[in-house]
Amino acid sequence: MSRPYSTGELLAVLLSRDLQDGETGAAGAAALIPMAAILLARASHAPNMQIAGEMFVNPYPKVLSSSMLDDRALGKCEAAETFVELFGHSHRGLDFFFHSGLQYDQYGNVNLHCIGPWDRPQVRGPGAANFSYAIRSRRFYICALDHSPRSFVERVDFLTIPGNLSGPESRRAAGLTHQGPRYVLTPFCVFDFDEVTLKMRLMSLHPGVTLDEVVSRTGFAFDTRADLSETKTPTDDELHLLRTIVDPGGSLKSIN
Amino acid sequence: MFPDPVAQPHPQRRSKAVDVADIGRVIAEALADGGSVCIGGLLKQGRPVALVREVIRAGRKGLKLFSSPASGYDVDLLIAAGCVAETYLPVVTLEHRFCPFFRDAVERNTIKAHAVDALTVVGGLMATTNGVPYQPVTAWAGSDVIDLNPLIARTTCPFDGTPLFAVQAIRPDVALIHAQEADEFGNIRHLSTMTYADALIARASRTVIVSVDRIVPAEKILADPTGTTIPGFYVDHVVQIPFGAHPTASFPNYSVDEEFIDAFADIGDAVRKDPNRRDAVEAYLDRHVRDPRDPFDYLDAVGGYRRLSALEDEARFI
Repeated sequence: MSRPYSTGELLAVLLSRDLQDGETGAAGAAALIPMAAILLARASHAPNMQIAGEMFVNPYPKVLSSSMLDDRALGKCEAAETFVELFGHSHRGLDFFFHSGLQYDQYGNVNLHCIGPWDRPQVRGPGAANFSYAIRSRRFYICALDHSPRSFVERVDFLTIPGNLSGPESRRAAGLTHQGPRYVLTPFCVFDFDEVTLKMRLMSLHPGVTLDEVVSRTGFAFDTRADLSETKTPTDDELHLLRTIVDPGGSLKSIN
Repeated sequence: MFPDPVAQPHPQRRSKAVDVADIGRVIAEALADGGSVCIGGLLKQGRPVALVREVIRAGRKGLKLFSSPASGYDVDLLIAAGCVAETYLPVVTLEHRFCPFFRDAVERNTIKAHAVDALTVVGGLMATTNGVPYQPVTAWAGSDVIDLNPLIARTTCPFDGTPLFAVQAIRPDVALIHAQEADEFGNIRHLSTMTYADALIARASRTVIVSVDRIVPAEKILADPTGTTIPGFYVDHVVQIPFGAHPTASFPNYSVDEEFIDAFADIGDAVRKDPNRRDAVEAYLDRHVRDPRDPFDYLDAVGGYRRLSALEDEARFI
């Protein structure tokens, strides 16, 4: 499939469109695509974006780095906070945040801890630095680079990051009041969440991807929006900004 | 009555600077087998890796391992050397790949890796620094981490009865921290932009040991008190160790040695797949941890100034 952008560039552009001017948010460790999305939004339609919540405040990185949490990635920034202030942000919440993991389930719960049982895992993952933003922030995005039946499962083996738990009743019981997971972006499609069931629902297919392909890659049954569409691909302007201002080093190009 | 001023002794202010040759002994005395240690920095920046190597050289076993909320190479090294019994580490990762020794040890059940998150560790340290037995937390709900976390309990707000979580105070036996500068009295200056949880960890721990790139004259501290990130009274020992954070970065002085970190992870991945290759780990630990007589020896073994000056260059041009 020949296209003028990489998967990394596509996902960064899609995420950036949903971030609003004047909002506050951040991306954590190992978050190349989300950070590119934030910086692209700031460089285009959201000049008043406040990038804060992960200790760095309004950074101007020279290169897009896989970690935003070290000086190498920050370049210039307006301020640096510490984990004490992060504790405060965790309780106040942000407008948006991003998560990815080992597994995702139909309710948008994310597993970063283990495949298999907790006591005797087949795979022990990295764990979670901070999942409070999934609870306290207005919304979060799931950016999943592996879309397969192994990673998109009926029920996560370990629920690290709470999405919609097991539906509306469970969210109410746990006292979750914010939107939670908003979109799930993969190399093949975008899911949103059904307003009633709070389950993942296919929203758009990336160009050249078929419904059957997404079905075969997803380990649970999902509904499809009546207005299922083709994903609106990056414009020339978006790609130009992305490649000249956000990611001149071309880090996103290798993500396919 | 006040003491007679003439009869009062006039001792000199005590220096907290430790000679690099003695730092192993200082760490061995401060940290017992089965003790708890908390490591500063984050991921690949500002980790006190030279001090961590001294923990391994001291042969410590059964440690309870805490860290600022994200850790990688150095905790994997401690686990590879068999020093660790339990971890209270929110996230363990090299970011572009897993930490192989951590993963292997958990999957084989040779360490107990508790499910904690950043708020557990930060909240627990905050409670200690505030002199209270626990820190309330509200931003937890719905995660399995809550039920598997031995440091937290459910409680209610004493004012309005709202359900709350509490994380118990964390008081590590020893804090290991790396910064760029200090005076001999232990006043610490981070020149890096990010300082993470270092100041918090120093305030919460019983014995605080800090390695720095340079010990500077005390006048430099007095000339710019706003630059002091950890006042000396929180610090027990300070030691100048050139490139003491290697292979992690000490910005703005030197950058991350990614290649070195990857080479270690490659060994870990190979051993994880084939336990018969354990001798590769021992060879690594001999070469980089046990055999070097001091940190200068270590720096020679990793490639000497040729390699290190490249890391300095990288830090200057970011």
